[in-house]
Amino acid sequence: MVSMGHSDGTAIEAVLAGDREAYAALVTRHSRMLFRLAYRMTGNPADADDVVQDAFLRAYQKLSSFESRSDFGTWIYRIAVHCALDRLQSRRRDEARQVSEDSDPENGVQVADAAPGPERLAQSAEIGVLQEMAMRGLTAMERTAFVLRHMEERSTEEIAAALQVSPNTAKQSVYRAVQKVRQRLTQMKVTV
Amino acid sequence: MTHLSEEELVERYYRDGAAADGAEDRHVEECEECAAALAALESDLNAVRRMDVPERDGNYGDTIWKRVSSLLPESGAVLSVAKGAELLGDREVPQGLKPGIFKWRANGTTEVAPLREKLLRENRPLLWRGLGYAAGCAVLVAGAFYVGTVWEHQQHLRQDAARAAEHATPPVQQRVVVVVLGDHLDRSERLLVELKHADAEDPELVKPLREEARNLLAANREFRDDAEKTGDPALTKALGHLDTLLTEMANGPQGLNAAAIERLQKQMNEDGLLFEVRVLRSKNPHRESAVRVLARGGTA
Repeated sequence: MVSMGHSDGTAIEAVLAGDREAYAALVTRHSRMLFRLAYRMTGNPADADDVVQDAFLRAYQKLSSFESRSDFGTWIYRIAVHCALDRLQSRRRDEARQVSEDSDPENGVQVADAAPGPERLAQSAEIGVLQEMAMRGLTAMERTAFVLRHMEERSTEEIAAALQVSPNTAKQSVYRAVQKVRQRLTQMKVTV
Repeated sequence: MTHLSEEELVERYYRDGAAADGAEDRHVEECEECAAALAALESDLNAVRRMDVPERDGNYGDTIWKRVSSLLPESGAVLSVAKGAELLGDREVPQGLKPGIFKWRANGTTEVAPLREKLLRENRPLLWRGLGYAAGCAVLVAGAFYVGTVWEHQQHLRQDAARAAEHATPPVQQRVVVVVLGDHLDRSERLLVELKHADAEDPELVKPLREEARNLLAANREFRDDAEKTGDPALTKALGHLDTLLTEMANGPQGLNAAAIERLQKQMNEDGLLFEVRVLRSKNPHRESAVRVLARGGTA
């Protein structure tokens, strides 16, 4: 994680003093780190860009409540986690609504094919669609916990702090995510 | 040591807390089943770890800043929801910015933002319309309050008038008396017997007769009228004779003096009134249950 250097603190003071342009330094310094997190959580580059943007907007709004002794990188990382979590939940609601609209009352509800065929897997193998498909069955909380633990290599305590849950809850979320991912991967291997 | 659970294997994979102690290490080395399970878990999760993240070039920060800065307001400005939505376009409004008004805080800023003035200017017609609605509502509330006050005042006046009328004209105290024909005939018979043996020289004995005659008079007339309407000539005749006698007893101008009592006794004997009443009681028992409700005034 990027630790807050002297320049972060200076930029924050300048922004709070009314210099809006000073916020640019914070944005450029932490954007790529947030993008990696957002992409791993959303699995989509466009969504990841929006998450990064939303995180900086939200941070700007709450900047006056930021404690100067804290690390800005850690602070905005947690904000980005929440923005990504919101995005995942919003996307899940949209997908559920889409399924509802596309459903045919005579033929029953049509859902997206959870197990893509070999051709589709081959075409999109480069962007890690296997993993994405395996993670699609996770809840927003499980996915976030799994990404933070497995890909961002955060400790249970850090995950709990970012999600504002107890360490045990964070650990259980990771465990359930691992179970589901393995089951989905096994199913897809059989299908392929 | 028992086999490691799947949860313990996951903890071990991530090296969480006390999961990676020596006892578990030795168990996994010695237990082929647990070793195989851990190997399978590592294989699956290592595969997921290969997820690549698209690279963003060195200008990515500038790109994001351009997007963010276009959404940031002027220092100290207050954005309306409509303006915020316009600025954001079709992009999702970040959570936390959605409620009512976006207040962007920038400490130390005293300059009035042009954007704020522009928003106020654009929203002035809406402001006047809102004030109009507010004034209309205030008039309605005031009118309703005034009407309510007047109505309540008039109600009080009506109640006061009614109360005053009650005090000014005391109601006629009417007694409702339920009279049964059998009882009436009993009382009449007793009165006639007392009259027959009355001693005109003793006024203390005569006075109750006069009072009793007054009490029986109204009921007697009611029963007589009923008998006439229902076509019972014997009863009508007997109650008619009784009415004459009771009237003289109750209202005689001289009171019940010796001459009056002697005259009444003579009249009673000539009419055979006492015998007639006794016959009515014995021959018409079904009539004894006839009931009359009398409303008597204070002077009855």
